[in-house]
Amino acid sequence: MAAPTLAERRPEIFLAVLLSLCFIALSLQVRRAGGRTVGESWLLTAVSPFVNVVTGVRSGLLEVGTWTTSRRALRVENGALADEVERLRAELLRLRDAEKDKGRLLELFGAQPSPPPGTVPARLIAIESSGPFHTALLDRGASDGLQLDGVVLARDGLLGRVIALGRQTARMQLLSDNTAAVGVLLTHAGRGGRAAVAKGDGIGGVSVEYVPTIEPVEPSDVLVSSGTDGLYPGGLAVGRVASVRRNKTLFWEIHVFAAADPHRESLVFVLPPVRKSDVTPGASVTERR
Amino acid sequence: MKPLRVAFGLSLAVLATLALGALHVSTPPDFFLLVVADMARGGAAVPAMLAGLPAGLLEDALTAPGRLLGLHAFSKILVGYLLATIGARTVVEKPVAVGSLLAGAVLVEAAALTFLVWVLTGDFLPPALWPLVARAATTGFLAGLLHAASRVPWKQRREARRRMRLT
Repeated sequence: MAAPTLAERRPEIFLAVLLSLCFIALSLQVRRAGGRTVGESWLLTAVSPFVNVVTGVRSGLLEVGTWTTSRRALRVENGALADEVERLRAELLRLRDAEKDKGRLLELFGAQPSPPPGTVPARLIAIESSGPFHTALLDRGASDGLQLDGVVLARDGLLGRVIALGRQTARMQLLSDNTAAVGVLLTHAGRGGRAAVAKGDGIGGVSVEYVPTIEPVEPSDVLVSSGTDGLYPGGLAVGRVASVRRNKTLFWEIHVFAAADPHRESLVFVLPPVRKSDVTPGASVTERR
Repeated sequence: MKPLRVAFGLSLAVLATLALGALHVSTPPDFFLLVVADMARGGAAVPAMLAGLPAGLLEDALTAPGRLLGLHAFSKILVGYLLATIGARTVVEKPVAVGSLLAGAVLVEAAALTFLVWVLTGDFLPPALWPLVARAATTGFLAGLLHAASRVPWKQRREARRRMRLT
């Protein structure tokens, strides 16, 4: 006769096991407040990583598909945008130039509220140096009303005069040209003006000649045009004394900082040439007209 | 032979339940309990519980599809254990006693089911009194009837009739 098993000897244990299993199974089926059973919740929790992975892969594939199909459109759009950016960049540069020109014009007309009749604005488009000769090219010519010997002014002072005319362009002689000269008044605070001649030194600067050493001259004395040379009207800023040196002659050796630097100026004004009958020593350009 | 007996009994219980359901009998007897009680005769607790498990699952499948599967399994296992324990400690021979015991088992099972539903779902749903009483009565009556029928010596009577015909 076989020995009784544990379940037969202790049926309470077997009962407890069976009832517990049933209760667990029932608990898994009970619906919670969210409408899910505990079993469904456990199942969902267990499979959620897999579902997430599948969802991620699916969305990734969709994105790749979308990217692939829209790549051509994106490239076209990118090209159009690049063109637009280039156009806007050029527009920005143009507007910046215009703004700068506007500022200069305001400054110029603010200093000279009523420019002389016949004044023509021009652009200084090229500077040419050939040994001692220094000239510049303007983008205005005879068709714009420019005349020979027209006085060229920059924002800060005198630049030179027109020496050759074309239909659309003009060539001007800079004050730094070795053959250029302008009658000036050398002025100093507390003293009156002393007439002299400023000449181009041929190396980009201006020097003053024929000032006797008995005359007191100091650095930072100011030079304005005297209007006595028949070429330039009086009262225009020419420069400022940079250095004064005594040489072996009877005259000072004076070097001048030019008031207007052609290398920094792009916008200039060309005044009509001075009429010989109008020459009045010391008269300014606005007074004269 | 016992598993076959359980399977046969459960098959009959399913068929009877379906048949009475088709006849729109409102309070049919608990045929599955009869199978469990049959296995609990003589105090065999483990066979009774093992029979209670499939019997309860089948009853759950038949009477409450889609709901909590295992409610009746729980109660049938419990009732099977109780019947086996009683059978092991007392001698229940008379059909009336057997019927009364099974009727009481129906009431205990109903109480167990009510308690279980309350614990699991929080809903206290006591069964209607008179249908419960009718179910217990019919189950007890059927159990007593079957018990009485099982005590009749059918073989001896058949042999006696055969011998009388021969003589």
